[in-house]
Amino acid sequence: MADKLAGFFVKLGYDLYNNLIEKGRYITILTGLRNTLLIALCAIVIGTVIGALIALCRLSKNGFLRGIGSGYVTIIRGVPLVTQLMIFYFVIFGPMGWDKILVSIIGFGINSGGYVAEIFRAGIQAVDKGQMEAGRSLGLNKTQAMMKIILPQAIKNILPTYTSEFITLIKETSVAGYIAVQDLTKSGDMIRNATYNAWIPLLSVAIIYLVLTLGLAKLFTLLERRLARSDRG
Amino acid sequence: MIEVKDLYKQFGDNIVLQGVTETIQKGEKVVIVGPSGSGKSTFLRCLNLLEQPTSGEIWFENTQINDKKGDINKLRQKMGMVFQHFNLFPHLTVLQNIMLAPVELKLQTKKEAEENAMRLLERVGLVDKAGSYPAMISGGQKQRIAIVRALAMNPDVMLFDEPTSALDPEMVGEVLNVMRELAEEGMTMIVVTHEMGFAREVATRVLFMDEGKILEQNTPDAFFSSPRNSRLQDFLSKVL
Repeated sequence: MADKLAGFFVKLGYDLYNNLIEKGRYITILTGLRNTLLIALCAIVIGTVIGALIALCRLSKNGFLRGIGSGYVTIIRGVPLVTQLMIFYFVIFGPMGWDKILVSIIGFGINSGGYVAEIFRAGIQAVDKGQMEAGRSLGLNKTQAMMKIILPQAIKNILPTYTSEFITLIKETSVAGYIAVQDLTKSGDMIRNATYNAWIPLLSVAIIYLVLTLGLAKLFTLLERRLARSDRG
Repeated sequence: MIEVKDLYKQFGDNIVLQGVTETIQKGEKVVIVGPSGSGKSTFLRCLNLLEQPTSGEIWFENTQINDKKGDINKLRQKMGMVFQHFNLFPHLTVLQNIMLAPVELKLQTKKEAEENAMRLLERVGLVDKAGSYPAMISGGQKQRIAIVRALAMNPDVMLFDEPTSALDPEMVGEVLNVMRELAEEGMTMIVVTHEMGFAREVATRVLFMDEGKILEQNTPDAFFSSPRNSRLQDFLSKVL
């Protein structure tokens, strides 16, 4: 029994070394992590900008802008992310010689923008109509009322769903491997193919994703709590 | 000061205002009463263009309000409005609520706006609430703050849209008191309300609206003691 246990740990130690250390495999993981973070962070920035613009389009009085907004959201939400990503790479940007990671950033950003737009729109529409009226009745124009009264309140509605969109985005970058980007998941896969060991690379990758998403969730909870100051009765 | 000519307002198939013509002079305190759905709130909201009239003209201080060329934001600065549900800005403190518009519109410096706000808060006895958020104060206090917020713009006229209808009964008095004081100081006021006591006591003129028209108007004494219109008689018999 003791022998068996000792044997297990010796093998575990060997496997860990073989999968994570030998031939600098931790560097493979770190490179993947760097790419995943780079893609997710840049994509959420692009997604937020696009989302804000599309949300404003959808809330516009102008029928043409509204059409653009809802068309964008319909297409983005109706086509699988992997398909979109492959179209961006193999059809549009790849032939132009663009870098894979750059294309992923743009692809994930454009995709995320569709979802962020809906989060923003819902958050803005959830602010009581009387708030805009009160602002306008004081003589503020629409933009001033939006910036000073509506958006600060909308952010509170938006933040929880926006957080989960960011977390979703981090996890979704795992399909970047489809256009041969070495993200975190792809890195794990590369190790698996080299060592024929599945569980150590995959579990390591899973744990890193979990740490990332948990950390972010915690960070946003803190932010939400700060914004909730004025709600305390 | 305010002149309304043949005002119509239609929501879909529903005609809410059917030709209202009315002139309100500076210093008047006009109270509008009537059953719900009579169009009195819509009429009030047309005066500062929160509702766009379907047809007709509204003039305020010799400018036509519902004219595309007019600057409605400029005109609204001179028309304070108080809402049934207060509509305080929940993300700002009481003081910030009052200072927001004068500072944002660059009519006052931050310092002036703050002094002005504190002076107004003192008048309504709420100086100690300056740093509170709206969620922390009572309905009556909220409505008094909302009045102060409108006054901070130094308006020429104040519009009140059922200012006490959303309040607990014991808080109605404190809000009406502030309005009474405002009336005594000579503010031009247009008030939509169900508070008949206030109408009788403060109004210089009472209007009765039903089905989108002004059916009768008179001094409060005559209005309540000898109503001529049968629908007004019916209405008064129910509310008095």
